[in-house]
Formats: sequence, structure tokens, C-alpha cells
Amino acid sequence: MARVETFYDVIRRQGISRRSFLKFCSLTAASLGLAPAFGARIAEAMETKPRIPVLWLHGLECTCCSESFIRSAHPLVKDVVLSMISLDYDDTIMAAAGHQAEAILDEIRHEYKGRYIAAVEGNPPLNEDGMYCIVGGRPFVEQLREVCSDAMAVISWGSCASWGCVQAAKPNPTRATPVHEVILDKPIIKVPGCPPIAEVMTGVVSYILTFDKMPELDRQGRPKMFYSQRIHDKCYRRPHFDAGQFVEQWDDEQAQKGYCLYKMGCKGPTTYNACSTTRWNGGVSFPIQSGHGCIGCSEDGFWDNGPFYDRLTNVKQFGIEANADQIGGTVAGVVGTGIAAHAAVSAVKRARMKSGETQAPAPSTTSRD
Amino acid sequence: MTAHVDKRSADDEIADLSTAKHHLQVRQTAIYVYEWPVRLWHWVNAAAILVLAVTGYFIASPLPSLPGEASDQYLMGYIRFAHFTAGFVMAAGMVGRIYWAFAGNVHARQMFVLPFWSGKFWREVLIEAQWYAFLRDYPKKYVGHNPLAQLAMVTIYSVGSIFMIVTGMALYAEGAGKGSMFDMAYDLVIPLTGNSQNLHTIHHLGMWAIIVFVMIHVYAAVREDIMSRQSMISTMVSGWRMFKDDGK
Amino acid sequence: MVTVSTPNGFSLDNSGRRVVVDPVTRIEGHMRVEVNVDENNVIRNAVSTGTMWRGLEVILKGRDPRDAWAFTERICGVCTGTHALTSVRAVENALNISIPENANTIRNIMQLTLYVHDHLVHFYHLHALDWVDVVSGLKADPKATSELAQSISSWPKSSPGYFRDVQARLRKFVESGQLGPFKNAYWGHEAYKLPPEANLMATAHYLEALDFQKEIVKIHTIFGGKNPHPNWLVGGVPCPINIDGNGGVGAINIERLNLVSSIIDQSIDFINQVYIPDLVAIAGFYKGWLYGGGLSSTSLMSYGDIPERANDYSDKSLQLPRGVILNGKLDEIHEVDLTAADQVQEFVNHSWYKYADESKGLHPWDGVTEPNYVLGPNAKGTKTRIEAVDEGAKYSWIKSPRWKGHAVEVGPLARYVIGYAQNKPEFKEPVDQLLKALDVPVTALFSTLGRTAARGLECAWAAEKMRYYQDKLIRTIKSGDESTANTAKWEPSSWPKSAKGVGFTEAPRGALGHWIRIEDTKIANYQAVVPTTWNGSPRDTKGNIGAFEASLLDTPVADPNQPLEILRTLHSFDPCLACSTHVMAPDGQEVTRVTVR
Repeated sequence: MARVETFYDVIRRQGISRRSFLKFCSLTAASLGLAPAFGARIAEAMETKPRIPVLWLHGLECTCCSESFIRSAHPLVKDVVLSMISLDYDDTIMAAAGHQAEAILDEIRHEYKGRYIAAVEGNPPLNEDGMYCIVGGRPFVEQLREVCSDAMAVISWGSCASWGCVQAAKPNPTRATPVHEVILDKPIIKVPGCPPIAEVMTGVVSYILTFDKMPELDRQGRPKMFYSQRIHDKCYRRPHFDAGQFVEQWDDEQAQKGYCLYKMGCKGPTTYNACSTTRWNGGVSFPIQSGHGCIGCSEDGFWDNGPFYDRLTNVKQFGIEANADQIGGTVAGVVGTGIAAHAAVSAVKRARMKSGETQAPAPSTTSRD
Repeated sequence: MTAHVDKRSADDEIADLSTAKHHLQVRQTAIYVYEWPVRLWHWVNAAAILVLAVTGYFIASPLPSLPGEASDQYLMGYIRFAHFTAGFVMAAGMVGRIYWAFAGNVHARQMFVLPFWSGKFWREVLIEAQWYAFLRDYPKKYVGHNPLAQLAMVTIYSVGSIFMIVTGMALYAEGAGKGSMFDMAYDLVIPLTGNSQNLHTIHHLGMWAIIVFVMIHVYAAVREDIMSRQSMISTMVSGWRMFKDDGK
Repeated sequence: MVTVSTPNGFSLDNSGRRVVVDPVTRIEGHMRVEVNVDENNVIRNAVSTGTMWRGLEVILKGRDPRDAWAFTERICGVCTGTHALTSVRAVENALNISIPENANTIRNIMQLTLYVHDHLVHFYHLHALDWVDVVSGLKADPKATSELAQSISSWPKSSPGYFRDVQARLRKFVESGQLGPFKNAYWGHEAYKLPPEANLMATAHYLEALDFQKEIVKIHTIFGGKNPHPNWLVGGVPCPINIDGNGGVGAINIERLNLVSSIIDQSIDFINQVYIPDLVAIAGFYKGWLYGGGLSSTSLMSYGDIPERANDYSDKSLQLPRGVILNGKLDEIHEVDLTAADQVQEFVNHSWYKYADESKGLHPWDGVTEPNYVLGPNAKGTKTRIEAVDEGAKYSWIKSPRWKGHAVEVGPLARYVIGYAQNKPEFKEPVDQLLKALDVPVTALFSTLGRTAARGLECAWAAEKMRYYQDKLIRTIKSGDESTANTAKWEPSSWPKSAKGVGFTEAPRGALGHWIRIEDTKIANYQAVVPTTWNGSPRDTKGNIGAFEASLLDTPVADPNQPLEILRTLHSFDPCLACSTHVMAPDGQEVTRVTVR
């Protein structure tokens, strides 16, 4: 996408002087029945930089979202950064540091109040007064609240910002908290994944700029265009699943034939993401195509749905870890044994009753009337 | 010589009682308990649960791989098709059964009603429990479900199968896709379970709960048939409950 | 305070003006640095603080060891994969699992891919702006820029028209007034030494490298399914090889191998024709600025990596050098034993953690990670408003690892110096060539610039090694061996009741080790000691300072309000803070929960 020029850029390119431009603006104001002072405001609006400022904050994270973002093939990330948005703050790549960097946040918040996007990578820890993540000597959560308070919208990049991800896996020692549980009054677009696919990230940004609106979100706040179907629904190995053809062991004959990884614990059937269609790194492959099952990295709480190589989740609530079949089988076994024992006792009792019946009449059953 | 009609709701069950009274005239008491829709539902539902449990198990832990081209096979597809079909039969049956709870006789209502605030009910649950624990020589007799059975029926079976139907529909929605009529179930259920994997897990646990229920249910029915001298299994075939001792 | 001398030979004086840089940007994670400058604006005291803690070790406890790679991989998304590799090696070491030859080769290719990518991105996108004044490039003459570019390289994108286009785009960008990531930087700072043409050329290559880096990682995507965070497997690699059987299209086949091969060739070209010439050209303008040596001239360490033969982690098999140099004695290389209780130890006197006895260090197998966030008595500000930390007390979320009590520097420079000292031609010759080209003595290596140069040379080395291992992979397949995973001990029922292991790699940033204890098929203890923990460590019990702090000392800062020199030196280490600030939880230690407000 080419750089969007301002109206001022365009008329200057056509050889119109600044003087004429200002005159045009005051005439416009007059024609709209506005006071002359509005001319200057129109001029300002038309000169106003069209690239939307983005403040990209980093909480507790691993920077994989930024790394993924720069992998985008279409659009190229250099075009996103140079021509589509104004990435005014991103501590991973920005040239400025220290208080000069922090000053940018204040400047954008005031100059572009309500007109910038807060993009959040990672999440704030709330334990220890937030000091498990310190930026500028202060808890990250404060920076997050401030920057989001004047933003027009918030993008939660990746599973950290969207759900909590690895640092929020049990027992979540830092109380790492997803963005939507801290920022309650802004529209939040969740783009989960660990990391999200590069083209999905730049796709969300360019959607907003191209169609001039927020993408349609599902109930959990994810863009429907990328997160409405499971990996499994569009997996190229789905025919093997339907046929009942599975990899039984790593590197077995079925693995070499590219059979379904369901039995190896693939979480494709429970994971909403675009991997099986958009694929990764310019469409080269995606986890299943490269022989490893999906680990479900765009799902809320996927770290605690393990182990990754089991089809069935371990359920820890039962004291010892066990999966649904072990729990169910155990209960059924206990009940079955109970029934057998009960049946045996019943039989004995009945035999005794029968022999007793001939001697004494059975007591009449109690009436409830 | 009295048949022990459940009096808790006797006031609005005059017709039923009169049926019972009518049968008091005969030597061996027999009461018409389960109307044909209930009986039909029971056996269709039993078949559906069997299919659901078997196919459900193999969906979670598939059979060994089949050789040959994927295009020549459709095993998982058939298993899943059977599961979904049986699921819909169970769901449709549940809808019909709920309708019949209103339209049918008092016994048709029992599996949806828990007289939670009735002290008498709980006392009788206790009596029934004592019977099963061999602490009583004779059980009380009931035309429909005994209180303990009713308790299990409502809390495990009815709630359980509605739970399975709702979670099952939500899972079906995953394949049916966004915008499908099942999507509503999905949108409501997923936020409650956290994620799709958890939904699968609890649906799977639900299967085991129902299997355990079925085991107890079948055992209790057979046992009562023999021990409590009132018909059980044949009642669900013919609709008539026979009280053997009453014939004496 | 008067001047104090540290046991490792540095003098510290915190009487001068305190300069704080927080956040340190263009690094992975969160970091703060405070320095004291004297009246001549020379740094006399340096204090580096890791400002995040995620507690991954606590989280790993009780999990399936086969899953650990995925958790630890998320320690860092920049050096993505290297933690995963270290983790599967630790588990394999604990359970005595051997991997097939192909798995070793593919792992090597993936690790080398990371080297190439990470070093390239570090040089252009994280580090170059410390040397290159982007805005100055606007004043360049495109024709002269073209001549400069063609004089140092045969890279085809070097016409005057090309540089004119880049300049025009840059101008439009700057004139828009929205400088984006280039906003508020130190443009025009007197520490920038490049002429406008070199700045323009480097800026053009900044953008080219940004486009190109996404190609390199496709190798991870082929073998691991995605990048960042490709998939790994205990016992081998997850991608099967199927060269000419049924369904080969679903596995590593000739098409996939060709794609890997083509990316390797492109990478070699880009490094040799863009990265290295740029590095030499830029270094030529800065060879008078040889600050930032710190520990590099005295104490260095490398664990070694890239085993030539599967399951052979001996010095002979490892392609990257292994050993420790102490006190600048290049002729004496100490052997590293990661299982020895007295070698690698971590101290927490100055870290926000708690030990029962903080006078002693703990070996990672016995490591404890209990957070203990307290500011020292001389800290300025409040608990949640730190103005200045107190380096006499606890001041960082990073622990202080020491090798036999010594603070050491790790990373590309450490590897190159050790390789050089071992007289290994593949490390010595490129270094000698570079020194000769720049006309500087070998001691020039011990500097910020030396660190940056070693990284560049290593990038070129890694790209060539990728070619070698790709060829080796094909040779092995040709010989009829297509195996990629050993599943003999996949099932936990085949494991011993109790086991412990250690896995190591050389991450792009330096020596990386994971220590694991397995009890009843679950992780009982997991500890990672990572490169930035070594380099960015705070002071230890005896007062030894770490590599970051040492490297900043005695550097003159032209303008303390624009401490470009500090960033330059810190960036030369390629800090990775998310890595360094997570450490291991012990048996049964529950982290204290504090409710916010």
C-alpha cells in the first residue's frame, strides 16, 4: 500500500503555493458558514499527518510478536512502518531511549488524543505492586493505563496480551493479567497466537487503515476474518483424519506419509487460528505440515491444557493428574465393582429371605396413607 | 392391600389415581405407569446413548490407522457422522420428552422435577438408601420412580444429558462454523469453559458420568425387578407396573 | 563515596552526576542502566538493572519434561528456538536418549539459521542506529553513495538511481514530521562519525535487511513449522524425511531441501556482499573509538555448540569453541563442566531474590528462585517510582552467575577470542584479516566495536556452516538414512523414577544452559542460566561487577543528556532481558502472592 498523502501534499505537488492553499482553506470555511478562524483549523486538519500513530508497548513478553511482525511479507513491514502507520513508540526497534523515549508517549497522548492506537505486546503483572515489570522506574501497568486511556482503540498482540500466555500459566507467580482485564473502557482487538502470524498482524492493521473501521470481532474479541475457524477445519491433512489414518509414533511410516497428527496430541481441532490457510512466513509451511501437531498457541489457557502430546487434557482437580478417560474409567470401574459386590450381597440376602418366607409371612409393606 | 401411589401430587392426578384404584380391584395389582411416548423415548434414547458413548470414545481415542489412500476410507467420518446423528436423536428426543412431561401423566414429569423442599421426599430418599444399603428388609413401593431413583434421574440423567446436548451442540458448532444456527451454543458455552479444549474435556467427562449412570440404572432396574417384587424392565416395555405381593 | 576497587580489577566511583537510561530500547525485554559521570563526563560507575521477572521456572514445575521446550522457548522470541534446543538436550541428557544423525544435522541447521538471522537483525535493526545517523543520509549525494557502495561490494543494488529513490522515500518520511521509530533519537549527535553517503548506504541496507531477514527464517518454518517459535521434539526433530516414498509431499522432500538450499545461498550472498562490507566500512570510521572492552580482555566463557556428530558433545565434536579464559591469560583455556557443583553458581546478594544463605552461590541443579523485591537504603524514589537504585543492596531481577566465582563475558566475542586463543583457523584467520583490513592491533578486539565485529564474522561463519550441514544432510539421506526421531524412550513409563540432566547451547548472545531434575516423570526443578544473566548480572557477594557494568566504565559521554555511547556499548552485547530474568524454582517453594493495592 502506497503512502497516503495528505490533501496538502497533493495540492503542493500540483504547484499550488502555500498562500493559495491557505486562501482555499478560508474560502472553504466561509462557504460552510464558519467563522474565518475555522480556516486555520481546516488548514491544520488538511496538513495533519495522515499516518495513524501507533504506540507499541511491551509488558511481560518474549518479543516474539515484534519478531513475527517484522516477518510480514505482504505488506512488507518497512512499508507498514514508513507509509501506513507512524510507529512512534516501540522499545524494541525505536532509536530513542530513556526519557527521550518516554517523552514520546506524553507527546502523542496529548497531540493525538483519541486518535492513536495503543498496541500492546505482553501483559502487566499485578503482584508486587506491578514491579515484576518496570519501565522508567515505574510499574508497566501504569504506563499501560495511561497510554490506553487516550487511545481510540487497543490492539492486544499475541497470547500474552490477549489471554496471559506462558507467564500466566499455573501458578502465574507474577499475576500476569491480560490487557482486557486491566483496560475496561476501550475497544480491544485481540490478535492471539504465540506469536500471531505476521500477515495476520499486518492484515489487522491494514484492514483498519484500508476500510477505515474496526474489524468485526467475535464474542471473545478476535477478528472474525482470521479466527473464526479451527486449524482442523481447513487442515490439508483433514482427509486423513476423516479416513481414520493417523501418525501412531514419531517418524513412523504414517508420519512420513503425512497422515493426521491427531493421536500425537495435535490441538488443531480445538484451536482457532489461520495457520492452516494463511500459513507461516510467506506461506512456506505451518506446524502440522512440518510434522508436529498444533500446540494450540492462540487459545486461552493453552499452556494448562497439556501435555501437548496427549489428545486428552490432564485434569488436575482430581488430586492426581489424570485425563478424562482415566478418571471416567476409574469411576466406572469402582462403580462396576460396587455393583458386583452389591449384587452378590443382594443375592445372598434374597436367598435368606426366600427361605424365611416359608416360615413367617412377610410383613406388610408400610402404607404411606 | 394398598397400592402405594405417590400422593405428593395426588391432588391433580385424580385420573391417574382412579386408574390405580381400578387396578386395586384385580388380584395382582398392575398400574399403567409409562405411556407409549415415554417407553419409545426410553429405548430410542438408550440406543442413542450406546452409539454416542462408543463413537465418542473412538473420536477421542481413534482406532488404529487404516492403510491405503485417504480417498478410499472414511472411518472417522462415519464414526463422527454416527455420533452427530445419535446426538441429534438424543437432542430431539429430549425436546419431545420435555413436551411429554407436560402432556403426559404424572410419571412423565418425575425425571424433571425434584421436590427439593419436601422433607418427606428426603426422608424417603433415606429409606430407599437404607434399603439399598441392606439396612431394611423391604423397600417401599412406588408406582413411578422411587425417591432415590428420582433424585439420581433428575440430577445425573436429566441435567447431565442436557449438559451433554448443550456442550455437544457447541462442539458441533465448531465444525458447522460461525454464523450457523449452532453458533449460538458455541458463543454461549466457550466463554464459560475458557477454550475449546476444555469444552472437549468436560464433554468427555460427561460421557463417563452418563456411562456410570447407565450402569447403576440397569443394575438397579434388574435388582429391583427381582428383589422388590415389582416389575421394572417389563414396565418399560409394556407400560404396566406389576406389584407381585399385592396379589397375595 | 570514595573510589572502590572490585576484585575483578575495576574501580568504581559513584560521586559524580547520576545519569539514568530507562528504558534501554532496541533490546529484548526491559532494562535500566544508571551511571555516574565525573566532571569530564567520563563514566566512573555503572549499574545495570534487569527490570522484569516472569517466573517461568515456577511454572515449569510439575509439567511433562517433553513439553518443557515449548515453555522455555517462550523465554525469548528473539533468540527463538535456542532455548527449545537447550531444553530438549537437557531432557535427553537426563533420560539418556540418543538422537538420529539427521536430527542432529537439522538441529544444527536450525540453530545456525538463528545465528544468521539474529546477528543480521541485531546489526541493522538494533545496533546500527548507534553508529548510523539516518537523518544525515538526507544530505548525501546519491552518486557518491553509489561509488562508495560499489567500491566495497559487488552487491547489485548500488546504482545512483537506487540510492536516490531510497533518499527520496526517506526525505518524504522525515518531512512528514512523523518520524515513527526514528523519533526523538540522537540525530546530529557528535558521536556519529559517518559521512552522509555512508549513512545513506547503511540506511538503504537497514531497509534491505528488514526485507531479507524474513527469508532466512523460512528454514525454521520448513523444519519446525513456523517462526518465531518453531516446534522441536525430545528424541529428534518432528519433521520426517520422505525422499521418494508414497506421500513424500507431506514430509521433507527434494522440494523442501531445495528451498532450504536456496535460502542458504541467498543468506551467504547477503552477508558477504552487504553485512560484512558495511561492517568493515562503518568500523573504519570508528576505529578510533575503542571503548567498551570491559571483561572481554580478561574473563570470557563459551560452552561450545554445533556438534558435528549426533550425541557427541565433546570439545572435539563441537564446532564452536568451548572453554574459559581468566585474567586475560589467552594461553590457558579452562575446561567447563556444567555438572560440577563448584563451577557454575548463581548469587543473589544484589538480585531481587531470596536465599537462605546469601553469602553462598547455588549450582543450578540446586537453584532457588524466590522473588524478594526490596530497594536498598540509598535508593531514591519509592517502591513504585524508582529514581535511582542502590547498588549497595538488591537492584536487579537478574541473578549473578559466576564461574568458579569469576564474572565472565559470554557471546560472539568470547567465542572468537577463545577460538583465536585455541588457534582454530576458521576463527583466527577471519579475525586476522579484519584486523589487517582495519589496520588495528589485536587488542582492538576488546571493545564495543570488537564485539560487533565478532558478531559479523560469526554470522558469515554460520552461513557457511549452514551450507555444510545442508550438504551433510543430503549425504546422509543418500546413504539411505532417513530417520529423524528416536522414540524408544518416548513413553514416560520407560523413564527412571528420578533423573537429572543438563543441556547447553551457545545462543547467539552467548553461553546458555538448562538444568533439569525429573521425579516421577514430572519436572521437579528446572533452571536456566542464560547469556544475558552472565553479561547483565549485578554485582556478586565479593563485589565483582558483570560484563555490562564493566564495559561502560571509563567511556567518555559527549552529552550526558543524550547518552548515545551507553546505548552503543550495551547494544554490542545484544541484551536479551526476557531471557535473563526468569530463573528456577526449587522444590516446593511457593512464590509469595502480593495483592496489588
